[in-house]
Amino acid sequence: MNAFKAIPDTGSTAIQQAWSELGTEARRLENTHLAEMFASDPERFKTLNVRHGPMLLDYSKQRLDAAALDKLGALADACDLKTWIGRLFSAEPINCTENRAAMHWALRVPADTALHDPAPGVFASVQSQLEKMGGMVRKIHNGQWRGMTGEVITDVVNIGVGGSDLGPLMVSRALNDSTLIRDKPLGIHFASSMDGSQLAQLLKLLKPQNTLFIVSSKSFTTVDTLYNANTAKAWLERSLGAGDELMHCHFIGVSSAEQKMNDWGIHHENQLQIWDWVGGRYSLWSCIGLPVALRIGMIGFQQLLAGAHLMDNHFRSAPWESNIPVLMALIGIWNTNCLNINAHAILPYDGRLEKLPSYLEQLEMESNGKSVTRDGQMVQTHTCPVLWGEVGPNAQHAFYQLLHQGTEVVTCDFIAPALRYHEAMHNSDSEELVRQHELALANCLAQSRLLALGEDALKGEGELPDYKRYRGNQPSSTILLKELSPFSLGAMIAAYEHKVFAQSVIWGINPFDQWGVEMGKKIATETLGVIRNEAEPEFPLDSSTNGLIDFIKNQ
Amino acid sequence: MHLDVYGDTLCALVTAAGLASVGHNVTLRLPYGRVRERVLANHAAYSEPGLRKLISSQNTAGRLNFSEFSTLPGEDSRAVFLALNTGDETAAENIVQRLTQKPDRRWLIINQSPFPVGFTELLQSRIKLETPENKSAVVCLPDFLQEGSAIDGLRKPSQIILGCSDGHAELKVKEIYRPFSREVDRFLVMTEREAEFTKLTITGMLVTRISFMNDMANLADSLGVDIEHVRQGVAADPRIGPAYLYPGVGFGGPGFANNVVNLVDTLKASGVGSELLTEVLQINERQKDLLFRKLWKHYRTDLKGRTIGIWGAAFKPGTGRIDNAPVLRVLEALWAQGARVQIHDPEAIPALLEHYGSRADLVSASNPYTAAEGTDGLMVLTHWPQYGSPDFERLRQLMRSPVLLDGRNIYDPATVREYGFTYYGVGR
Repeated sequence: MNAFKAIPDTGSTAIQQAWSELGTEARRLENTHLAEMFASDPERFKTLNVRHGPMLLDYSKQRLDAAALDKLGALADACDLKTWIGRLFSAEPINCTENRAAMHWALRVPADTALHDPAPGVFASVQSQLEKMGGMVRKIHNGQWRGMTGEVITDVVNIGVGGSDLGPLMVSRALNDSTLIRDKPLGIHFASSMDGSQLAQLLKLLKPQNTLFIVSSKSFTTVDTLYNANTAKAWLERSLGAGDELMHCHFIGVSSAEQKMNDWGIHHENQLQIWDWVGGRYSLWSCIGLPVALRIGMIGFQQLLAGAHLMDNHFRSAPWESNIPVLMALIGIWNTNCLNINAHAILPYDGRLEKLPSYLEQLEMESNGKSVTRDGQMVQTHTCPVLWGEVGPNAQHAFYQLLHQGTEVVTCDFIAPALRYHEAMHNSDSEELVRQHELALANCLAQSRLLALGEDALKGEGELPDYKRYRGNQPSSTILLKELSPFSLGAMIAAYEHKVFAQSVIWGINPFDQWGVEMGKKIATETLGVIRNEAEPEFPLDSSTNGLIDFIKNQ
Repeated sequence: MHLDVYGDTLCALVTAAGLASVGHNVTLRLPYGRVRERVLANHAAYSEPGLRKLISSQNTAGRLNFSEFSTLPGEDSRAVFLALNTGDETAAENIVQRLTQKPDRRWLIINQSPFPVGFTELLQSRIKLETPENKSAVVCLPDFLQEGSAIDGLRKPSQIILGCSDGHAELKVKEIYRPFSREVDRFLVMTEREAEFTKLTITGMLVTRISFMNDMANLADSLGVDIEHVRQGVAADPRIGPAYLYPGVGFGGPGFANNVVNLVDTLKASGVGSELLTEVLQINERQKDLLFRKLWKHYRTDLKGRTIGIWGAAFKPGTGRIDNAPVLRVLEALWAQGARVQIHDPEAIPALLEHYGSRADLVSASNPYTAAEGTDGLMVLTHWPQYGSPDFERLRQLMRSPVLLDGRNIYDPATVREYGFTYYGVGR
């Protein structure tokens, strides 16, 4: 592995120039504490926040200023970001290693759009699959999706992993308060892990005659998913008997591989299509989002798409200085490449967003965890930092100690809705809950303030012993939403998607492939043969693997 | 006595005409709507045997007059009956509110409407609030009329349950009903709240028996025994008796279902909740699409493009009403699977068309055989007498596939099978 550089020696002169100037800015600011920045400019928030639609991004607690931002914008220009955005919003195969377009944005283009089709039939096929999904959602919601014995389906289990799990799971949890109100609530469950952990629990609670499975897999070859699906099928067959009727009533398939769905037995009527131009981690907007639509209804799902579409248009048209995704990207570049911070924490102050950290871990690290450029060269700068996170108030009792007093510099995204518990479903108990939300908001603001300012936030505490001191200067952004609704969540997720894309452009990498996750799956197949005593390894295994296999077999 | 009856329920009409027929002077105050139009035009508003004739004759005799729902009773009115529908609580409150505008009158208000337990007391307290000195009384006289024998039910009651805690009012009610309670005192007097709860408890008991038998029928299905033989054996036990033991495709009707729901709501509101009644209602709802499930399995979960015949839409024979009737669940289930329906009912077709409007997958037939023509299955949902002994030979020839689904267990399975039908019943 090469040593990473602040100024790459490849790329155009303009790019090298921009990196070099950024280096100067970084050196200028490296000894300025955030507390000083706030002290010297009382209007700091005013110049360093941006709003669009339901979303506010406050980046005044980042260790930069207008001059540095200017240079970051110049870097974006030098890297041709504008042109690349144009390429994203076209049918061009910008996923170069797989020769595919990345048109997840087309999934949220409304039916009555004035936009031009990127390729013939794209918008029409998106709408036709949405309609087909809408029909299924209606049938299930009306209690008219019947099991093989004619019983009403009361529970739906989504079997999928990665993008086919995290997206729908995260959004379903986040939009719990937008759940469609029905006489009998529909049970919506998720099973992803290949060891069957979740499925084993679920099958104990569910009744075969009332349960419908969604098998979600873009390739329909994902081992994790197919093992879970086979287990589910066997479970149904034990009670209901095998046959076409079982497949007709108890399985829906979502995939881009029609033939593979047929082979597995998904009934033609129950197949929902996605396209090879939708990456797994960008797929919740397609029929992969069926569990979301089942939770919030098709109107809610359309609002989710509309929020994302709003952000798409914003990303395409807003100048860098007011472009939320671009600013998020440039701030990340600044922190990673100019300030050398390689850890980033996602801290939602709303328990409904508990799965957002995992979702963004995949979105950012699977997209930009790359070290080879589009030209096939090793990158010379750092790319994606390590991301992790947790619901903020809970993380306060866990890893915040390290944020406040550890030796690592960590950047944070604080995320919270301004309003909560005002939805129709909350009534008599809402007053107490609103107070709990206010408490969470207060903690969100207090923590980011203490992280940024350190002891400057503690005036009046007097002289403190060393172990009670707060050095501060940990940079963070705060994203506030008016409320957590399908629309605002859609806008926020799309903003993160475009942040990731904009960063990939600056790093010169392809964010849409994931070759790093392929080989492990492959050699697992060989290892499985050894564990099951069915095959000898083609080449001798290493002593560690052999030792571990021996332990397993000896139990 | 001069009496005023507010409402357009079956109870309102039967009470008004029945009391007129024994000499009272009754003013029937009908709200605007279908019933009012039918009554004023001397048409039958309910398919209740003898009711239209009774109303007409009492009107001709001058003892039954019709008036506005929104106006106050006359000077000589001695009692005001409230016989409204479930859900019309506001209308009842408005009437009582208007009555209090005459604070010097001592009203007797007789509430017969199926409102939640405690509502009669609530009306009483409204009067006390508006006019503290006024001695008006609100009593509860729950309606136990059974559709089909409602007039007899009024004239020859086995018991009259009266919820009343005012001695003066009690005497007046007994005087009004004296002609029906002549030989022995039929009155059972209790508090208003107890009377309301008695009504709900009786209904709850009856529906529990039905759901219990349906539950047993589903077991019988999987045990391979005929529930009809079991039912006869059970009915022979004197501790149980034969009433309300017929398994079928669920009970419906405006009174039945609403009252039970009402009872459940009443308990839920108080935070108690009746697990048994919740279960009873759930069994009943499941039972309503039992025949759909049997057909679904018969055709191996593919009903798209098939035509299904249905005999009977009314929630029970002798009425044209479809409130909460099984047919609603069955139709919606069949349509959702892409089947079309040909339906016959001697009385309920207008109500059905009013409910669903005109649609391509609903064809109403003027006779039962037309409904069966070219069908892939025939469901019997209501036990109308004329469905009892059809020409099976003709029926089999008319149908595309001879599949007979008997939701009321009215046929003999062996006979029907001999004619070449595939037979499905309830628990047999």
